[in-house]
Amino acid sequence: MAVDRPNALCGTIFVALGAFFAWQSLNLEIGSAFRMGPGFFPLGLASILILLGLVIIGYAFRVGGEPVGAIAWRGIVLILPAPIFFGLTVRGLGFVPAIFFTALIASFASAKMRLVPAVLLSAALTVFTAFVFVQALGLPFRLFGPWL
Amino acid sequence: MDLFDNLSLGFSTATTLFNLGFCLMGVLLGTLIGVLPGIGPTATIAMLLPITFQIGDPVSSLIMLAGIYYGAQYGGSTTAILINLPGESSSAVTAIDGYQMARKGRAGAALAVAAIGSFFAGTVSTFLVALLAPPLTAIALQFGAAEYFSLMVVGLVSSVALAHGSIIKALAMVVLGLLLGLVGTDIYSGAPRFNLGIREYSDGLNFVAVAVGVFGIAEILRNLEDEHERTVLIKSVTGLMPTRDDWRRMVAPILRGTALGSALGILPGGGAILASFASYTVEKRVSKHPEEFGKGAIEGVAGPESANNAGAQTSFIPLLTLGIPANPVMALMIGAMIIQGIVPGPNVATEQPALFWGIIASMWIGNLMLIVLNLPLIGLWVKLLTIPYYVLFPIIMGFCSIGVYSVNSNVYDLYSVAFFGILGYALVKLRCEPAPLLLGFVLGPLLEENLRRAMIISRGDPSVFVTRPISATLLFIALAVLVVVFLPAVRKKREEVFVEES
Amino acid sequence: MKKLIAALAAAAAVTLYSFAAGAQAYPERTITVVVPFSAGGPTDTVTRLVAEAMSKDLGQQVLVENVGGAGGTLGAKRVADAEPDGYTLLLYHIGMATSATLYRNLPYDTLNAFEYIGLVTEVPMTILAKKDMEADTLAELVDYAKANADKVTVANAGIGAASHLCGMLFMSAIGTPLVTVPYKGTGPAMTDLLGGQVDIMCDQTTNTTKQIQAGTVKAYAVTTPERLDVLPDVPTTAEGGLTGMEFGIWHGLYAPKGTQADIVDRLSKSLQVALKDENVAARFAELGTKPSSEPDATPEALKAKLESEIARWKPVIDAAGQYAD
Repeated sequence: MAVDRPNALCGTIFVALGAFFAWQSLNLEIGSAFRMGPGFFPLGLASILILLGLVIIGYAFRVGGEPVGAIAWRGIVLILPAPIFFGLTVRGLGFVPAIFFTALIASFASAKMRLVPAVLLSAALTVFTAFVFVQALGLPFRLFGPWL
Repeated sequence: MDLFDNLSLGFSTATTLFNLGFCLMGVLLGTLIGVLPGIGPTATIAMLLPITFQIGDPVSSLIMLAGIYYGAQYGGSTTAILINLPGESSSAVTAIDGYQMARKGRAGAALAVAAIGSFFAGTVSTFLVALLAPPLTAIALQFGAAEYFSLMVVGLVSSVALAHGSIIKALAMVVLGLLLGLVGTDIYSGAPRFNLGIREYSDGLNFVAVAVGVFGIAEILRNLEDEHERTVLIKSVTGLMPTRDDWRRMVAPILRGTALGSALGILPGGGAILASFASYTVEKRVSKHPEEFGKGAIEGVAGPESANNAGAQTSFIPLLTLGIPANPVMALMIGAMIIQGIVPGPNVATEQPALFWGIIASMWIGNLMLIVLNLPLIGLWVKLLTIPYYVLFPIIMGFCSIGVYSVNSNVYDLYSVAFFGILGYALVKLRCEPAPLLLGFVLGPLLEENLRRAMIISRGDPSVFVTRPISATLLFIALAVLVVVFLPAVRKKREEVFVEES
Repeated sequence: MKKLIAALAAAAAVTLYSFAAGAQAYPERTITVVVPFSAGGPTDTVTRLVAEAMSKDLGQQVLVENVGGAGGTLGAKRVADAEPDGYTLLLYHIGMATSATLYRNLPYDTLNAFEYIGLVTEVPMTILAKKDMEADTLAELVDYAKANADKVTVANAGIGAASHLCGMLFMSAIGTPLVTVPYKGTGPAMTDLLGGQVDIMCDQTTNTTKQIQAGTVKAYAVTTPERLDVLPDVPTTAEGGLTGMEFGIWHGLYAPKGTQADIVDRLSKSLQVALKDENVAARFAELGTKPSSEPDATPEALKAKLESEIARWKPVIDAAGQYAD
């Protein structure tokens, strides 16, 4: 039997997310249709989401589908930490190191990037953004933070 | 006639060399900052706001601010088209077909259509503001919670048209979006919901963070999959300007988009956010080639962009006639006015006629400058696409981080960028589209809030939704849309409904 | 060449001097005032006006940073955790006192996390109703509300907002609970009041003065001991026969705990100078408020205010039984 694996997975994700919201809603006051509590509306939505997810899974067993294709593992590992790094360091290290390393980390998500161009690119971006956002627009960033 | 006296007062105020200069400066700065990826209109305006404080004259300062507003809006559409990064809910719709046009080498045409559509819509709606502001306000005040709820239902039902693949997956994405929109604090009981105990999320997830994640990061990751084949985003760029065929195809969508946007923009309770979604639905419905939507249909850019700009313009109406901000951008405008010594209120037109009509005139001038400035710049923006992708995306990540953080100085917004990036990528890989999710995200809180508010005010009587005439009409429209959108789909075999077109 | 060396030497000397001068040189760089609300709101506006005037006095830029969220407590937490060097300050309104009760898991200790610089302003409140409300005086409004308690709706801008506090106080003053209708922000709440979708709202003059003057809403009372210059026809709550309704949305300027006393003193002096600035006074007047007097713009006055306000609001909030966490 042909199983459309992407759709089965997709349906499973919706069911899982729906279950999360439903479970969280149950901890809230539900109320009634006429006097809705904070849990009423989300519980209804979460039930619909679970239902839709189940329908998608059901169809996955009836119709064949295309494979998922290549996955950008390197991208996931290096792109996603970039904003997190910025968030963790912008107030401690200050704007200049935070933005420099954010761009540097993201640079290596591509296999084509080499060290020297990556450093140059990150440095150029740092100078540009420091000038525009901190000097010219006066956003309340400290160029170098208290950790340094 | 009064109107002409007023308009001439407005234009004589706005067209002094001094004020024209500030308007131009505003449009230019707004475009330049707004075009940076991940920095949406609200962040752009908040960043540039302090500059306008330096100008002593309140009229000049507000004219410059209006220029920044238009520039920022257009800048936001530019990133939506070029790199699939919408900075606000309305340009999420532009991203659907605009980005596909760009990938086909037609970024120039898409940007030009957006500029032309916006200009036309801006011109029409400016006159609408000048002519009809007071009576339109009276209509807007008829909208209570029941009416807003019914309006949101119309929007929700129309959202199905956003899907160009599986309808059922699009519905699931809308529902997921609605749920994500509810994260935060329940305003009725103060109970925190779905925030996992993180206080930083108690005011909800940040729209820009979600949009950057599900659109921008997901797209970057997709481009990183097969690097050997693609190094630049687009190999060849054909024609910067719309062709004759494009012109023929974009006229009607621009007219319809303008009408829809103008009407919805008047409603201060979130009507404007529906404008571009509604326009997209209409265009896909009336088009002879609905299958082109989602793959670079020019109507899918022309209509929503016009609707968006018309709505942006008429959302000044509640601000100017009631002194009440319709959205966060308008709230910034009010803050700027107060700092300049003008407290906006219902009497601003009679107390400060030069200011009131000067702003209206400068709206049109701002739109004019936008098109004069941006048509030549299109060539430059399109050139950006020829930058190798591996150079472009570290820059995008840098600007996104700054842009998302600067809205509220909340580092948790940056963590949500990463979370929604991975979620968005997973869903895209599983052939789910992000636009319905974003629509659900902006509608979720409005839908629930107005539903519960209507029930509180009616003391638990659900008949308010059908006994109030405007609400009943809207629900009837929702039903009609449902029939029109679903019937053709239902008539096909059920299997086919589910299979994606691709 | 000699000139260059001389110039370098002079520069070095200046640098050394400013190092040696240490604390006396405060402020030697940009100061950031955290506003725990988003840009464009009334607190943000008040802060920007005061910050600009303080910049002039301190000779350093005073920037405003908006750290919104959780009723202002996220911004307060940010400043509570900041280095106590006088370069990160907080301008927070009455929420500083009410959040101590509204939020049962506040991540800082309200009374022990800050140094006090001074009171900035106290914005009066106005009691309003929709334009076609039949009652004409405050006494009539109270009678009407008591007679129709299950029908009369009171709008507010969300838990912890000025209008929420004022609504609670009004209901406790008339001894009758009414139907509360919360909104997300003042804008939508005011729109529904203008459209007659809700009956009563009580909010700051910053938001209401222009509407009252234009006659788009009915004003019944101001919550100050005396009538306001901008609204001479609106009686006070005491004149209207309601007691215990006198209050305002007071704003205070704070620094993190442990900031040196001489820096706090310098900032307090600077605040007093800023509050006498003509531009500040003029803008405040248009908003229906006025700068705090010199004796109020002091650490002692702010500390006393905060302590008394925490004590005042705790029973009101506990009686309403609604918390924000």
